[in-house]
Amino acid sequence: MTTRPLPSIEGPDKPFWLGLRQREVRVQRCGDCRTYRFPATRFCAHCRSETFEWVAVEPTGVVETWCVFHRQYFEGLTLPYTVIQVRLKCGIRLFSNPVGVEADALRIDMPVEAVFEDTTPEVTLLKFQPTKGDFQ
Amino acid sequence: MVDRASVAVVGVGHTRYGSFPEYDAYDLGVLALKQAIADAGLKFTDIDGLIVNRIPDYQRFCEIAGLDPAYVSITPGQGRFSGICIETAAALIRSGAAKTIALVYGNNGRSSGDRYGGAGDTYGSGGGGLWFPYGMTSPGAFHALMARRHMALYGTKSEHFGIVAKTFRDHAALNPAAVMRTPYTLADYQTSRYICEPLHLFDYCLINDGGVALVLTAAARARDLAQPPAYLRGYGMATALSDSTFPPDDFWRAPAKEAAADSFRMAGLVHDDISTLMIYDNFTPTVLFSLEGFGYCGVGESGPFVAEGHLAIGGRYPSNTSGGHLSESYMQGWALNVEAVQQVRGACGARQVENCHFAHYMAAAPVVTSIIYGREQS
Repeated sequence: MTTRPLPSIEGPDKPFWLGLRQREVRVQRCGDCRTYRFPATRFCAHCRSETFEWVAVEPTGVVETWCVFHRQYFEGLTLPYTVIQVRLKCGIRLFSNPVGVEADALRIDMPVEAVFEDTTPEVTLLKFQPTKGDFQ
Repeated sequence: MVDRASVAVVGVGHTRYGSFPEYDAYDLGVLALKQAIADAGLKFTDIDGLIVNRIPDYQRFCEIAGLDPAYVSITPGQGRFSGICIETAAALIRSGAAKTIALVYGNNGRSSGDRYGGAGDTYGSGGGGLWFPYGMTSPGAFHALMARRHMALYGTKSEHFGIVAKTFRDHAALNPAAVMRTPYTLADYQTSRYICEPLHLFDYCLINDGGVALVLTAAARARDLAQPPAYLRGYGMATALSDSTFPPDDFWRAPAKEAAADSFRMAGLVHDDISTLMIYDNFTPTVLFSLEGFGYCGVGESGPFVAEGHLAIGGRYPSNTSGGHLSESYMQGWALNVEAVQQVRGACGARQVENCHFAHYMAAAPVVTSIIYGREQS
């Protein structure tokens, strides 16, 4: 009963999960207005175009905020754990976990870069660490 | 003088609040509706419009309650819908689509074991399943993220959240209907356990069973009924639904400002006219965001504002005089609207705000609603 929650890599976001396996952060980009989006949707929310491609984006961003869980909602996650909200350079936002930095050391707008964590033989999770050379 | 308000709340009703495993959401709704109709001095046959909220099925509800309204609708069990239902009822009455509308809410969440977080979490846009692998879940965590950002940007302190929680608990102590009535100190707040840091247990609303009903009709008719009408002097609504999987950068200030401006304009009032505030308090930070968004204090100033004691009964803007969601009952905005009505009626007993002419209900969420109730029609 210690199985942690895992994503189903099959589905509309499959290119994202396969990308993480190959050390890339891939998101959808509208074929018409070029707006990035994630998770996957059929239509661009900016121009409603139905054409898109999956593209690799720069795997860096900033911490927008964070919180520390003290309550167990999922088996297999050890308390307390920290969730960060990251905004990638391309504008996409993600929830994730920080690597190599304690919650007390997190700051708004702290630059972070992707860490690809192979969690199971199929699943790689996208986590973030402070950008090297950017420690305050 | 122009009659500004054409619709009024004429009847309110609610069940006891707590744990009632023998009643389901339909039963709780019927109990509340019986009270609200009796409160108004009306009969079930007077109801020609019905909107149910959180009750699973409108058809089943009408069968149980013996209702054949000319207009019927059903809305999902999200707190933002209390304000939406009230504003929709006002529009229906003004349009002539219905004369007397009942809004009925039933919530057996406590007894049915509702959980807000974990594998069944459906909060937000399409649910949060994508983020479960990182442990991200629950409306509480969403608000904890916003709280942390507010603290980092503006210097808001944990104790500011604590002051909100403690103040509403002090109010609940004056309310016999409240579930949680034992006052606590700020030190008790600070030592209460974290659920999702920076939020403590006391920053979270309750989960309990209960039902609430409101009856609304045209102002011209309201004057002949059993209770003093609570006129809908002004109301407004605005949304921030696109990109709403993530907390809004502005703490919902833009839609709150718009909804507030519309409601004040319609009412012909300014903030200084308002006697009491009913602020949607799913979590304490929402109260701070609302004070800024709806214009009761400046951007980033809500922490010091609450520290000055303005929200307490006897303060400038006594807020959530019932105890709110944090201490009275988790009725998703409905009970706060009942409290607004009772305050302008002058029926709140020990917790009555003196000379209460106007009560302002506000809810900050991806759908923002703002409703100003008045004792007089104009």
